[in-house]
Amino acid sequence: MGQFIQYMINGVISGSLLALVALGIVAVFKATKVVNFAHGHLILFGAYFYFTFSVVLPDASFMPDWVSSWEPAWLQAYAGNAPMFSPRAAIASWVSDLPRILLGLIGALAANAVLALMIERFVMRPLLGQSAFAMILSTVGLIWVLEGSAGLIWTAEAEQVPALGPNFPIRFQLFDQNLFMFSGSLVNLLVALFLFASLMLVLRYTRSGVAIRATAEDQSTAYAMGINVPRVFSTAWLVASTTGAVAGAILASRNGLSPAIGLFGLSVLAVVLMGGLDSFAGVLIASMLVGILSSMAQWKLGGGVAEIVPYVAVLVVILIRPHGFMGQEEIERI
Amino acid sequence: MSYIPLPGREGMTVLSVTQASLAFGGIKALDDVSFTAESGQITAIIGPNGAGKTSLFNIISGFYKPQQGRILFDEQDITHLRADKRAELGIARTFQNIALFRGMSVLENIKLGGHTRLNTGFWSAGFFYGEARREEARLRAEIEREVIDFLELDHIRKAPVAALPYGLQKRVELGRALAMKPTVLLLDEPVAGMNREETEDMARFILDIQARWGTTILLVEHDMGMVMDISNQVVVLNFGRQIALGTPDQVQANPAVIEAYLGTSDRSETKAEEALA
Amino acid sequence: MITGHFKTDYSADEGIWSIWPKRWGLVAALIALAIFPFIASNYALLLAGQIGIFIVAVAGLNVLIGYTGLMSLGHGAFFAVGAYTTVAIHHEWPLTFPLITLVISTVVTAAFGVLFGLPSLRVKGLYLAVATLSANFIILFLIEQEWLAEWTGGVSGIETPNAVFFGYELVSQQAKYFFIMPVMVLMLLFAQNLFRTRFGRALIAIRDKDYSAEILGIALFSHKLKSFAISAAYCGAAGSLWAYFFPAILPEDFGLNMSITLVVCLVAGGMGRTLGPIFGTILILLVPEMLKIVAAAITGGDATAQTWVSPTRDILFGLMIIGFLIFEPMGLVNIWDRFWRFMSRWPFAK
Repeated sequence: MGQFIQYMINGVISGSLLALVALGIVAVFKATKVVNFAHGHLILFGAYFYFTFSVVLPDASFMPDWVSSWEPAWLQAYAGNAPMFSPRAAIASWVSDLPRILLGLIGALAANAVLALMIERFVMRPLLGQSAFAMILSTVGLIWVLEGSAGLIWTAEAEQVPALGPNFPIRFQLFDQNLFMFSGSLVNLLVALFLFASLMLVLRYTRSGVAIRATAEDQSTAYAMGINVPRVFSTAWLVASTTGAVAGAILASRNGLSPAIGLFGLSVLAVVLMGGLDSFAGVLIASMLVGILSSMAQWKLGGGVAEIVPYVAVLVVILIRPHGFMGQEEIERI
Repeated sequence: MSYIPLPGREGMTVLSVTQASLAFGGIKALDDVSFTAESGQITAIIGPNGAGKTSLFNIISGFYKPQQGRILFDEQDITHLRADKRAELGIARTFQNIALFRGMSVLENIKLGGHTRLNTGFWSAGFFYGEARREEARLRAEIEREVIDFLELDHIRKAPVAALPYGLQKRVELGRALAMKPTVLLLDEPVAGMNREETEDMARFILDIQARWGTTILLVEHDMGMVMDISNQVVVLNFGRQIALGTPDQVQANPAVIEAYLGTSDRSETKAEEALA
Repeated sequence: MITGHFKTDYSADEGIWSIWPKRWGLVAALIALAIFPFIASNYALLLAGQIGIFIVAVAGLNVLIGYTGLMSLGHGAFFAVGAYTTVAIHHEWPLTFPLITLVISTVVTAAFGVLFGLPSLRVKGLYLAVATLSANFIILFLIEQEWLAEWTGGVSGIETPNAVFFGYELVSQQAKYFFIMPVMVLMLLFAQNLFRTRFGRALIAIRDKDYSAEILGIALFSHKLKSFAISAAYCGAAGSLWAYFFPAILPEDFGLNMSITLVVCLVAGGMGRTLGPIFGTILILLVPEMLKIVAAAITGGDATAQTWVSPTRDILFGLMIIGFLIFEPMGLVNIWDRFWRFMSRWPFAK
């Protein structure tokens, strides 16, 4: 039982990360009807940007010392000689990393936003009006462009980057079971859920949210009604790239920086299809489900099986419900 | 109107729809529709927009399955048959929004109409020997004679259909249906959006088809002039319900029809008849 | 100037070699194919063999994507099934005649194709792309499993046999070339013929307008499944040739990269055309070679500089997909067509 709850918790945490990645795919699809196969690689770039701005840049010789390691007197006093792995030591080391984390996040968000706007302007927009097939393929092409570029620019492998939140083990008891999790994971979970919820609220209640939803329903009618459709497209790509940058930072701090992050994006695509391409709620459910299933598979069947869980799950779901849990079926008029 | 039915089949019922009902969620697209089409006759289905005319075609050709009622073709129950099986039996149709194969030429489109009548095997096709070669040649000759010459399409047979004007595309679609040598031909708004001249051409082709092969024709059309001129029988639908059935003359005089088209029956009947005539 | 070709009967009009430029073009191409191994270097033959194998696979993908309009991002898996079946057959019966192995591998892969095609019952387009992609990951995962390792070698890969024809073992590149090329030519001709008869036309009809095909009496599901089967069979044959061609195979050879490369070759060449796979494959597989030459020229053969060849190749591939989609969606074949149209009218019109 204790094991079970432990793996449930792990599942929910990885599910929330899946949801965070899926967010970008759904946002772009809702607005532009393009399924971005390269979203994982957009995240990969986010991760590399975060690495650049939080590790490479602060350590450069021209940067002031406090950026790479901020150690005011009060912080040293707070840390004192707290034992390793204690919450106090973890928080102290997090605070001293704070300047580089903030610099990294801001830099990654900005750089990824520029990248996404360029992709939207120079790749997706010229293809406007082409078949869905051409759109999909061009994002498949993007996978290679991004992966190759990342390989050229950042030759580093498996680098470590600072985590977004203080990282210390939390032990607690539930139903008389000893359970365990890292505070860093908890922070990641909260960040993911916060972003997911706020995007849903923005779509529902703001002007630009309504513009996006109108465009999702019918591009040409939305255009005719005076909605600036190209700007909606750019907005959607902005949302995808910035949430992607956060996701990249989190993923890189969890599992190290490597091109595998791009492949992770592909498995999220499977999750998105499971939930229904245009439904945030469906995708959230699917993410949690796959997260938990993978975690259970890891527990009972080993890590190798866990990796293909999303793919098996999506095949099963597509065969039973072709448009996912909550996706809208397109009706063809004859 | 004169027509030459197939020998020995005059007056036989080819297609019958019995008490067919079709609903999408709460909306009743068809509600208790019944009529029969006799061999070699033209049956027109008319009604205001959204009356369920295309839905009726869709349950006859097999895209939708009616929740209630039966469809008989040549005394065989086809209510639950797949669309492609119905095509094999001899039901052909055209679409309201032209549904040609846009990547192909006129000739290739029409050749596809011959699909059910060919039986080239896979291997024979792949090596293009023997039966495959002979059958292709036969099909081509037959299509040239009976479709392309007949519908006056010879000057555009190699043209890509996507580049043709609307009226010609409609004609190619009719040709594709004809190449199936159908027993029953369903025409969904064959002259919609056509000018006077094109409409007359199309009406002439429809009558020629009826005269030449004795094909039973069902027709959805808004052009009342043409409907009343060429059809033997008219079915009138309104909000999915069948409100009249009879010869063109009977239907034109039917108060329910006039009301459906003009809103109320208070208006002078002569005006209504003018509108329908 | 070629102004037109005059035909006097319908069967001449239906023929595919009925006009002299095509007829002599084919003859010239076949002669060139036959002479090539006697004048080319071993390295060129290695490339040629690889290209020949890929052309078969891309032609198979063309059946599915180009002619039937069904998307697949998982054809690398069929390649794998073909290759591993060949290895497994030789593992059990080492002396199997290569053509028999080839046929069995093809049939086995076709069966897998039917299995992959099942989702096409319910979904199309993007959903199918992801379904096939998923299937690709799953198949590779199975190949890597311990309990299949005796036949597949697991993660570390397995050595592959050489083809032996009547006691003569195909070891040299030249000998292998003469095994691959006839298979390629035959399979291309087969595909070409398929698409001018009943069955092939039905597939094209499904691509262009599925419900319209249905009312002409074309059973959608069975045709889609057959299309998957044929397409897989071509890739299976390619996989089998691949196993005979290379000394060893690894599961990761057949991953997403392979699947996408196949699609790239098709897009670059031109979908739904017989010549498309040929042009596209030659172009795409020669790009890395050209890059290597450029790299060597710039760096003077410095080995460390080779590290940027692989990422640059990826970038180029990606840019080529996007470029073709934006500027020449019909692929190289369209450029070829334009060239011949120009030639046939020159000097009077463009």
